Formats: sequence, C-alpha cells, structure tokens
Amino acid sequence: MTVLVSERLTIAVEGDVPVVRRRARELAQAAHFDAFASAAITTAASELSRNALVHGGGGYAVVEHVSDGLREGLRLVFVDEGPGILDIDRALRGGYSTGRSLGLGLSGSRRLVDEFHVETSLGKGTRVEVVKWARFRR
Amino acid sequence: MDPSLTEVLQFDEHQLRTRLAFFRIGEEELDRLAAMRPLMEEATAQIVSLFYEHLLSQPETRDFLDDPVLVDRLQAKQTAYFLQLFEGRVDLAYVENRFRVGAAHERLGVPPRWYIGAFDRYLGLVRERLIGRGVAGAELVADLAAVERIMHFDAALAIDAYVAGHLATHARNQAALRELASPVIRVHDRVLLLPLVGTIDSFRAQQVMESALLGVSEEQARVLILDIAGVAVVDTQVADHLLKTTAALRLLGAKTILTGISPQVARTIVELGVDLKTLHTRNKLSDGLELALSLVGREITDKERGS
Repeated sequence: MTVLVSERLTIAVEGDVPVVRRRARELAQAAHFDAFASAAITTAASELSRNALVHGGGGYAVVEHVSDGLREGLRLVFVDEGPGILDIDRALRGGYSTGRSLGLGLSGSRRLVDEFHVETSLGKGTRVEVVKWARFRR
Repeated sequence: MDPSLTEVLQFDEHQLRTRLAFFRIGEEELDRLAAMRPLMEEATAQIVSLFYEHLLSQPETRDFLDDPVLVDRLQAKQTAYFLQLFEGRVDLAYVENRFRVGAAHERLGVPPRWYIGAFDRYLGLVRERLIGRGVAGAELVADLAAVERIMHFDAALAIDAYVAGHLATHARNQAALRELASPVIRVHDRVLLLPLVGTIDSFRAQQVMESALLGVSEEQARVLILDIAGVAVVDTQVADHLLKTTAALRLLGAKTILTGISPQVARTIVELGVDLKTLHTRNKLSDGLELALSLVGREITDKERGS
C-alpha cells in the first residue's frame, strides 16, 4: 500500500473532532470517493476521534490518502492512552456504553468502513485503524 | 453613564494594595514622584511634543494620528496624563483613569505593542530629564526606579483594559452566534421550525434543545420541525442529541419532525445502527411542513379545489 498523503492531528479538545472530520472529508474528495463513501468515512472519523477524546482522554489521529495500485482509499488511525476497552466484543456488538451515549460509535464505525482493526490494552490505551476504499466508478 | 471599569474588572482597594506591593510602589516611591513634579511640570510641553514626534515618525503609529485636530486634543490629554504620574497619589480614581485610557486605545484598535513601545519612549524622555538635572548616584537610581515602577504599573492596567475589551467583544460575538445558531421560527399556528446548520457539538446541542423547549413552551406549539439539511455530519452523538431533544419535547406535548435527511445521511444512520423510530422523518422540509400541518388539523389545498 502506498501512502500519498499522511497527516497527524492532535485530539485534545472537542473542537479537534470537526478538524479531523473535515480533513477526512477533504482527503476523501482527493481520493475520488462518491458521496455515500465520503459520508461514511467522514462519519467514522467523527465517531472514532470522539471515542479517543471521550473514552481515551485524548490522543491523536493519523489521516492518510493511500493507494494499493488499483484503487485509492483512506486509512485513518486513532490512538489514545486511555484506560482501554474492558469488553471489546461487547463494544463491537453495539449498544454498550460506559458513558451516557448511544454506545454505537465503535460498532457503527466498523460497518461504515472496509477494514477495521482494534487493539486495546487495559490501562495502556486503544488503537483503531480503519481503511475505506473508493468504489470503482462505473 | 457606563459602569466604572474598576467595577467591571472588580478592581477594589484590596486589589490596589496588592498590585502596588507587587510593583514595589510604596510611600517612598510616591514621595519621590511628587518631589519630581515641579521639574516635570516645566518639562511637560517639550516631553509631550517629543513623544508625539516619535509617534508621528513611525508609519504604524502615524496611521492612527492622521488628523491634526485629533493630535491637538490628544496632546492636551497626554499632558494631563503625564503630570498625573507625579501626583504622588495612586488611588482607585487613578486606576479608573488608566483603565479608561487603555480601553480608549483598545477601541481605536491601537495594538498593545505600540502602546508598550510608546511607554518606553516616554520613559526614555523622563530618564533624560532626570539625568540632566544634575542629581547623581543613589538618589538618581531611586528616582528612576520610582518612575519605572509607576509606568510599568500603568502599562499593566492598560493591558488589563485591553484584555477586558477583547473579552467583552468575544462575549458579544458568542451571544450573537448563539442567537444565529438556533433560531426558532414560527411557521404556522403552533408549528415551529428549527433549522440546524454546521457542526453540532455538545455545547450547540444543548442550545438547540433549550431553544426548542423554550420556543415550544412560549408558542404553545404542538409540532417542531428540526431541519438538518445544513448539518455537516450526522454521527451517533448528533443522533443522540436529536433523540434526547425529541424526548424532552414529548414531555411538553409536542411532536418532532426531522427533515432535510439526505440519501447519504439516511444510509449512514442505518449503518451506524441508530434507531430514529421515535421521530417522524421526512426527506424534504416541504413534506415535513405538510405533515406538521396535518398534525395540527390543517392541510394545504389547491385554490381551485378548495373553492
């Protein structure tokens, strides 16, 4: 996979979430995403950066425009050094929240992207990596 | 009459004592300043005119002083200001005066850097006078220290006034933005519309909920249309806020109709697994309006058919 653009963005305050989201939307446009795919990756960027902020106490995001030779895509990585996710299977099933939210952020984001990897370690933090590819244009 | 800036900035006798102690201005310094007054009265006219010469020689400060009538008026004010330094008395009235001077510069848009730079020029002119007076050694050093301290004390007050001015502007903008952000519009008897635009963070979401609740209560509305066509991204947090607002409105006896849902947002919401079944939803605002009217027992009919 070739990385065409890579940017690291800090996630420390609520105002950083729209910044990550906006950058994801811009790169989605650069990678020729259609409106549906762009909405999906932008929403996932919003969910995952907010997770890093609210549950992980902040961290950073790496936003990348990538290519595998055939298609262009976006790879987003979210890293925090928070408490980690206690029951990752349950979090991925959805409807489970430690806060007072809907508890759909992680499970929902997974359905919005093509590749989804989460590594979490109790007391050390969480790293979520997602990839979404632009669909071939007909 | 405007409230005094010392009141606004909560600058009281206690603050004054603390501040004077911090700048190491005591009886001795004030006595020294008072003792310099006759010399300074003699020198005022020259010092003030040299001071303005400096301001007019710099392009950045000259821009603020392009009107000769204004310069005349300012020079008169400057003379009073300058001599006040050598009153030998610093009380709340003195502080109020300094705050007003700072606030006036802030309003004129003079950046603090020019202000501080001008202070330095003032200090230089006074220093020359004191040195030229013929008193040397420890006395001169102590006199210079007294002048420096009172001028730095003044500069700190000016900066306070600048910061207060900026904060007031910021607060006004925030208030304007708040009104702009969540305008509740009455579109028909007991039907309200709240169009949402931009980013809905938790602060905005609270505003939206509050203005929706207040609007419904004041207008005795039965239906509130929330139009989200202008919302950048509908993620689970935004959806959560919409659901909570709907639940709160239901407690007031009002129904919520969500409109302006684009095909992309519809698909994203479904993928996220968010259940918006408790809301009436419509693609277009016009459809939402029709639904709203039917909920209050009205309908839109064609003229021909109606007559």
